Amino acid sequence: MPGTDTRPSAYPSECARATAPGESRFRIDAPIRPARNARVIALDDRATAIARRVADRPWAKAAFYTCQAASDIGPLPEQIVLHRLDATPALLGEVLTGTDVVVVLATEDTGAHYAAAVGRLCGAGGITTAGVVLGEDFEADDAVAALRPYARVLLLSADESDVTELLTALRV
Amino acid sequence: MLRKDINELLTQTGPGTPMGDLFRQYWIPALLAEELPENDAPPVRVKLLSERMIAFRDSEGRYGLVDEFCAHRGASLWFGRNESAGLRCPYHGWKYDYTGQCIEVPSEADNSSFCQNVKLTSYPLVKVGDLLWTYMGDPAKQPGLPEFEFAQVPPEQTYTSKRWQQCNWLQAFEGGIDSSHVTFLHSGGLKTDPLFKGAKGNEYNMKDTKPFFEVADSEGGLFVGARRNAEEGSYYWRITPWVMPAFTMVPPRGDHPVHGHFWVPIDDENCWTYSFDYHPVRALTDTERQAMIDGHGVHSRNIPGTYRPAANMDNDYLIDREAQKRGETYSGVAGIAMQDASLQESMGPIVDRSKERLVPADSGIIKARQKLRKAALALRDEGVTPPGVDPAHHRVRSAAVVLPQAESFLDSCRDAVTVMPGVPQSSV
Ligand code: FES
Ligand SMILES: [Fe+2]
Repeated sequence: MPGTDTRPSAYPSECARATAPGESRFRIDAPIRPARNARVIALDDRATAIARRVADRPWAKAAFYTCQAASDIGPLPEQIVLHRLDATPALLGEVLTGTDVVVVLATEDTGAHYAAAVGRLCGAGGITTAGVVLGEDFEADDAVAALRPYARVLLLSADESDVTELLTALRV
Repeated sequence: MLRKDINELLTQTGPGTPMGDLFRQYWIPALLAEELPENDAPPVRVKLLSERMIAFRDSEGRYGLVDEFCAHRGASLWFGRNESAGLRCPYHGWKYDYTGQCIEVPSEADNSSFCQNVKLTSYPLVKVGDLLWTYMGDPAKQPGLPEFEFAQVPPEQTYTSKRWQQCNWLQAFEGGIDSSHVTFLHSGGLKTDPLFKGAKGNEYNMKDTKPFFEVADSEGGLFVGARRNAEEGSYYWRITPWVMPAFTMVPPRGDHPVHGHFWVPIDDENCWTYSFDYHPVRALTDTERQAMIDGHGVHSRNIPGTYRPAANMDNDYLIDREAQKRGETYSGVAGIAMQDASLQESMGPIVDRSKERLVPADSGIIKARQKLRKAALALRDEGVTPPGVDPAHHRVRSAAVVLPQAESFLDSCRDAVTVMPGVPQSSV
């Protein structure tokens, strides 16, 4: 019969033995490689200021971009020109090449167009998208609505440190 | 992942620790009212937040929660005689009232005032709903009593059970806001469990196994919304509230009673999981109540006379590999409650969160940890009262709704996630 323990009772079950406090010493302690090759894209001015503060921290592979002064140079979402935080331009199609997670930051509605473009490209490319929308009592409804169809997770927050927290937790 | 020092901060709740002080701002469940069923019932050992106590109900029906050990020479008052308005240590006869005040030391002279200076540490113990709640913090800051709906509705509308869980409170609690495990671990239960099956919402659940999430602050904690595709142009939303520090609710299914949990640290390596089921507007049916007593839904079948689940780590949770192979249960463990507990306990007494690889779907957990840490530090450094202390924050509900795709669950569900006496839960 399943689950019937026929061993002498002096021997604890497999689960009891395995979860005894001292047993954690024997866990394999292999270094964990940074899991994520992340892109962080700030949609508007305040989001860009936040991205600058966050980017100052040591990250493994995360790269930061802004949609400030972005422009469409063609009809396709790939053809949007973003900028790195040092103001050098970068084509959205190229920004998203080789990445597996994109975190979009927004504080207001002005970036809705770019949010939709990033969302569509990520959706098509199998890139997990997360959105952090910062604000009180939601100033950024349109940005949220634009991101909603694509972002696997939307964090609506009044707390800027959530960005750092999320990126740290994701080991980017 | 979480740094080791933050993991320690969040998992240690003994006296003098920042999280311990945080928990001591709130009323928390100490035991079920059924554990002290009548006046002068046998006293019960209670360990909470790494403090050992004795709960008793005196001859006049007053509840006491006092230091477990007699002030004389340290015998356990679990052996105490509960007699004429006090608990008497059976060793040398010292007697205490429900506030822990020593009222008799037989070896002293008849009119001695000695006992006036002997008082055991004690905490208030108050019945609200089917639970006895305690507040272990500064008496000057004692907040209003809990107002969670499951403890406010009439007795015939509510049922609460509890089970001992052999791991730290945080990893148990995190299961309560981790909506993404349901599709896997509990997939069998959606079809068969008498307290879950048959709801229209279950179909959306089963058809769309890759939910999207939205996490938003609430006054008392968080709302975690999980979104799945419903009919063309609409989404099926399941909304889970968390009230700090450790109250979570499961979104409802059809007209089934609504359930949820309170996760209470016993010590750093054990916790109590209180599981409740209630209906906001009707009595539970006999069949429903019996199903709960039998351990269906979020409840567990316990070893008779104890609050230890019958399936536990000492019998490998009665794992049934054949049922796992057949797909009846996803992990081979039967019952929603033990499916959760078995995996949470398998992580070890306190999981090392520096080894995790979190993904965006874990954002609810990431945000909850962050809120706990910030609240614990704000309390320690600036004396800030944390969210969830105000009883007004308790008046939240879970909800399961179908909304047009363009609508935000927060805007559309304000009423659905607020307790409205006499109004049924929002559920599909
Ligand atoms: S898949 Fe989540 S712990 Fe293994
Ligand atoms: Fe679960």
